[in-house]
Amino acid sequence: MSETVTIYLDDRAIEAPKGMNLVDACKLHGVDIPVFCYHPKMEPVGMCRMCLIELGFEQRDRTTGEVVLGEDGKPLVRWFPTLQTACTQVVSEGMHVRTTTEAVRRGRKDIIEFILTSHPLDCPVCDKGGECPLQELTMDFGPGKSRFLYDEKIHLAKRYPLGEQIYLDRERCIQCARCIRYVEEITDDPVLQFYERGRRLQIISTSEPGFDSKFSGNTTDICPVGALTTADFRFGARPWELDSAASICTHCPVGCNLTLNTRLDRDAGGRVIIKRVMPRQNEQVNEIWICDKGRFGHHFTAAPDRITTPLVRKGGKLVEATWSEALELVAGMLKSAGKAVGALAGPTLSNEDLWALRRLVEGQRGARLGVWPPTMTGGDLIAEVGVAQGTNFTDMGKGACIVVVASDLEEEAPIYWHRVKVAADRGATLVVVNGRATKLDRYTRHRVRYHYGDEVATLNGLLRQALGDAAPDIDGFDQLRAALENAPAVDAAAAQAIAGATDLVVIVGGEGLSMAAHGALMQAAANLLVATGHVGRPNNGLLAVWPGANTQGALDMGFTPEDATHIIDNAASFEALIIAGADPADEDPRAAAALQEAGFIVATALFLTPTAELADVVLPRMSFAERDGTFTNGERRVQRFCKAIDRVGESRADWQIFQQVGAALGQGRAMPTPGVVMAQIVERVPWYAGMDYPTLAEVAPQFPMVGGEDLYYGGTMYKNAGGLGRQWAVAAEQASYQARVRVPKAPAAPKPGKGELIVVPVRLLYDQGTEFYKTQLVHRRVPQAYVALNAGDAARLSVREGARVRVRLAGTEVEVAARVRASVPEGVALLPLNLGVGPLPHAASVGTVAVAEAVGA
Amino acid sequence: MIGDMVRGLVTTIKHVIQRPVTIEYPEVRRPVQPRFKGRHWLHRYENGLEKCIGCSLCAAACPVEAIWVEAEVNTDDERYSPGERYAKTYEINYLRCIFCGYCEDACPTEAITMGHMYELSLYVARRRDLHQG
Repeated sequence: MSETVTIYLDDRAIEAPKGMNLVDACKLHGVDIPVFCYHPKMEPVGMCRMCLIELGFEQRDRTTGEVVLGEDGKPLVRWFPTLQTACTQVVSEGMHVRTTTEAVRRGRKDIIEFILTSHPLDCPVCDKGGECPLQELTMDFGPGKSRFLYDEKIHLAKRYPLGEQIYLDRERCIQCARCIRYVEEITDDPVLQFYERGRRLQIISTSEPGFDSKFSGNTTDICPVGALTTADFRFGARPWELDSAASICTHCPVGCNLTLNTRLDRDAGGRVIIKRVMPRQNEQVNEIWICDKGRFGHHFTAAPDRITTPLVRKGGKLVEATWSEALELVAGMLKSAGKAVGALAGPTLSNEDLWALRRLVEGQRGARLGVWPPTMTGGDLIAEVGVAQGTNFTDMGKGACIVVVASDLEEEAPIYWHRVKVAADRGATLVVVNGRATKLDRYTRHRVRYHYGDEVATLNGLLRQALGDAAPDIDGFDQLRAALENAPAVDAAAAQAIAGATDLVVIVGGEGLSMAAHGALMQAAANLLVATGHVGRPNNGLLAVWPGANTQGALDMGFTPEDATHIIDNAASFEALIIAGADPADEDPRAAAALQEAGFIVATALFLTPTAELADVVLPRMSFAERDGTFTNGERRVQRFCKAIDRVGESRADWQIFQQVGAALGQGRAMPTPGVVMAQIVERVPWYAGMDYPTLAEVAPQFPMVGGEDLYYGGTMYKNAGGLGRQWAVAAEQASYQARVRVPKAPAAPKPGKGELIVVPVRLLYDQGTEFYKTQLVHRRVPQAYVALNAGDAARLSVREGARVRVRLAGTEVEVAARVRASVPEGVALLPLNLGVGPLPHAASVGTVAVAEAVGA
Repeated sequence: MIGDMVRGLVTTIKHVIQRPVTIEYPEVRRPVQPRFKGRHWLHRYENGLEKCIGCSLCAAACPVEAIWVEAEVNTDDERYSPGERYAKTYEINYLRCIFCGYCEDACPTEAITMGHMYELSLYVARRRDLHQG
């Protein structure tokens, strides 16, 4: 894109990148061309006609190709006789554009007047009123008065639910098709369509349930009128009444930048509550998008069943206590526990919380710092060959290759999926390596299937094929070559794609993998990158789809999943356990029993979870919206989030709690603010050098330039003023890096016997996670607990669609409904986690599925 | 000397025979000008539904931020206004209100007007509010 062309914008010569859309190019040089249907993230269609301009080209002599000069020595310009749409033009050398002439002004005025003939102008009751592109452009360019008779306006449905989450107002729609194009072109959920024609042209949803997309909320942002609004924010407040705070999503490792819009609410007892969640532009993380889980899953912050005071176990029951009483008790118990102290840190603890917790435990000479859930590992490999600084899916196109292993990205990290899919549209080669079909398969020819348990062998096979006879001079390669001898041939075309890629990113999930198996898979993925030389450069490296929003931060702060397993396995040897923001008893079948064995348990929690119920002291922690802190996302970008609402009850931030306990134990004074804790992290954790709060809050110009004065360009979005965060550099980026490969040691694959299946627990986006399920709005999207079977297996087991079946795996038995799906491979049963049937193991294992009645008989 | 006394009382005597300018408030109340801006009123349609749609434009226009509006969705079971939206909460803080009447101007449905009532110091109500609980 370094090549530029010169165009003349209002008789001023400007340079614009070759191939850029004319609207974007003008925007880049400070000239706003009004648009409704054009959106910088989508292909232009030229439907709304709002972007009219005068367009001309320099005349060229047909024989010589030379520019024809006029008498004054300037090139002669041949202007189009009529106005042209700017959005359908791509800048080219010698293009002349006029945006301020009378004809252009007139054209825009007429288009606005025409659009308004079918618009109800009910701005006072419209949720978009105040931040509405149509409103703004009418004020700027409109006629001020309509010649159209009010009674002749078309009247259509005003409150039409496209799904439970999105309402459509058919009168307000101006048929720009941004929403339809978004779901068709970008998220590939073709669930919206136009219906009828002429003035009755209207949008319908063709799916059941309605508007079945995980990104439906984004259409309300890009809608240039109030036609699409969310049920969540329906009449929540007028936009100008809202306060906003920069935040980070806590639902998955992508770390989408959010803006929390808050306002006081009498129904909430006069408290300030979160009214809506909006994406905050960060082109390196989430661009301008967020998924519906992030957008609607904020209600847990204001849930009525939040713990509001410390609880202390007295006579077998948890009773309310004061902070001083509870902290004194905790400090006393930690003191008497001596070294036998362990900590489990949950997925949404901030870096400051984790650091304070580590200091507390280490201050007592405890050594076990576990990160929950212990399903994935390989933090050391990320620190070695993780995606390099400056990696951005937006920059990946032709020549780049993205390998996705053992992950259903759309369910686990929707915005990764979104960006990978769009990169594939741009020409990046996608290799999907999975045991089953996922939605990502649609965008690639390279679908590599493995039998569950053969993940590592499959990657080894790909590496062997990709390398061919090449023998890179890398430490440990000879041993690896010997180990690769036996690797199976997998998919020559996919291996070719990997070998021929200029950039390579490997995204590793943990579907169906035990922690040990995941560690081996991470090593195999790292080998693939190192052996093909794709480390230490932007757009190259390893990316793990961690189970939690701040799992990466926990790994950076010295917490490990191995310690978490150790703590659960040897709970009895711990006299005191600190479980911070984690719920092992609800997620791991072994944990509930194991925790009973442990000595004193102190839990910090938002709700009285099964783990909190086992604790001796429960301390109310603040949610992410009530305090400041930093999270580190999957790409190792450290990002700040800010306080948006007041604390609930007497809750305190985790870092505060641990510091106060530490102070009571004589570990030194408690630090006053999270910024000070961060300063200590900056000092002690080398990766975080230079990442103090002001640095993390720095912003830089981004393209497309959404927000600010021109809501019509990118949609309803505001400028990111909260910071872009900083990504830390991995070892492979350092000059001293010694490339190294190691032989991955995969545990044996599960071998089902006769009548047995491999039961694979899978993660769903919409589940009954404690925090997410507090949002009533999404309940209908969360399925009943089920197990998905292949038609052949279902027939063999005489299981029909919808039948109640008992699934047995690894010592756990659950009763769920059966689903028969062609996408499930033979011999495999997919069992979604977290659907309210109690804790399930995370790793695939041999199990059985049987009709429930048959078991009882 | 009498002459001096009369001269001294001239003004007093003049006022004795003049009609008094004071009125016996609260027994007697002087009418206000038709466009007097007193206490606000929120109006209803003839069928009893509220004219207010909770659009909060009055609050936006208010120069002293005296108005607080929260909107909610009407349902068929619980209907306050004809359209979809109504004001769940409507509060005017009279300690702040400067009776400028901008709210009236901003209202798209003529739901809020300023009436003639100016007796806003309600001793009993105030006392109750202050001392209850």
